[in-house]
Amino acid sequence: MLTPAELVWLIAAIAKGDEAAFERLYAATRAKLFGVVLRILRRQDLAEEVIQEAYVKIWNSAGQFNPGLASPITWMASIARNRAIDVVRKRSEVSIEEEPAAMEVAADAPDPLARREMTEELKRLLECVGRLEPDRQKLVLLAYYNGWSREQLAAKFEAPVNTVKTWLRRSMMDIRECLGLG
Amino acid sequence: MAYSEDHIALAAEYALGTLDADERTLVETLMAGDQDFTALVVAWEQKLGVLNQMVGSVEPRPEVWQKIRAAAGLSETQAPMLLPEAPPPMVASPTPAVAATDSTNVIRLSNRARRWRQVATLTTAIAAALVAMIAVGIYRPDMLPDQLRPKPRTQVVAIRTPAAPAAPDAQYVAVLQKDGGSPAFILTIDGATRNFTVRRIGAAAEPGKSFELWLISDKLPQPRSLGVIGAGDFTARPVLASYDAETVKAATYAVTIEQAGGSPDGKPTSTPVFAGKLIETVPPAAAPASSR
Repeated sequence: MLTPAELVWLIAAIAKGDEAAFERLYAATRAKLFGVVLRILRRQDLAEEVIQEAYVKIWNSAGQFNPGLASPITWMASIARNRAIDVVRKRSEVSIEEEPAAMEVAADAPDPLARREMTEELKRLLECVGRLEPDRQKLVLLAYYNGWSREQLAAKFEAPVNTVKTWLRRSMMDIRECLGLG
Repeated sequence: MAYSEDHIALAAEYALGTLDADERTLVETLMAGDQDFTALVVAWEQKLGVLNQMVGSVEPRPEVWQKIRAAAGLSETQAPMLLPEAPPPMVASPTPAVAATDSTNVIRLSNRARRWRQVATLTTAIAAALVAMIAVGIYRPDMLPDQLRPKPRTQVVAIRTPAAPAAPDAQYVAVLQKDGGSPAFILTIDGATRNFTVRRIGAAAEPGKSFELWLISDKLPQPRSLGVIGAGDFTARPVLASYDAETVKAATYAVTIEQAGGSPDGKPTSTPVFAGKLIETVPPAAAPASSR
């Protein structure tokens, strides 16, 4: 039940080596971050490794967090998510013996952070995503939520990889214009 | 600095996650050498990161924290703190089914997969570290000591919790989605007036069909129609005013596909295609970004 301001405060304490603050931050954010990476990795063991690495990185780089640039939860989620994406991108180059039955991730369990963070920014972004053609909306959301590669998206949308590449780029530029980003 | 559209697209797709491994390494190298480019990437991560608000939470196993403590080099002797958020060990998580499946997976997989994973992880870590060190060494030597800096240890810390701001009338939001897939509708309810708005995100009704919104509550014998969702992006209606606040808050909101104009007899004729529950949100004005 922590507000963004409380999270900022905890991260500042962690930057000074405050272990209790780190434990508190972990307690407040672990389920959200784990949900994000589990959705991408689809495997408990890989997700646990990624979440471990992510929190160690959060501990080590708390001093570099800039609340002027990012919200605390997005900063943390980006660290975890980037690690998860790195793992799936590298993994696709290695052959994996088998996937265990894909886990169903409970996606509608609301949590305290979500309550606080369901913001105007989200509504605005969804509005911009909603202006894309229906297929492109799916493309962008599948890429973000599931961490799919262009190849996976190409298979899903039955289109050449280069076409997907063009769609993705066009979609991001459309979103950029819609959001009024510089 | 003004960046080319190629650079902007690279930053955006890095944040989206669709770059391949080499391109991701390229972006990370660029970021290490260029603060403005880093800011560009972070801005995209921030813009897209709000999407994570709609990802469900899943509790990791308690062992994960022990491993993090060890890997981060935290002191061993610290007594566990009793925190409201800290779970009692081994108590069923909010998603027991997932947790149960998970532990078997982990046991089964860990032996078989550990070796290649360790190799892969190590290789990745070394590669990433090399790139980072090279880049940092070239562009920002002043960052190195910071990364190697040992953390001071603090054993006893008083955590001051900021008082919760006085809550104005709450807003409630439900994301209606299909089996945890992409959101299809966002339902917003004003806590004071109980007016609701449905915003269509994805799906459009097929010709000759309508989306109908239902309130499902264990206090009610059957789903109650909240009306057909209009063809536009927004549908707003005051019909929830006749339900008590607890019912409105605890209900499941579901969307079915009905004949054009809605179910003829006031009962759903099909199973829900999208569903979700309300979560409380704080109006933006009540979420200070800088108070301590």
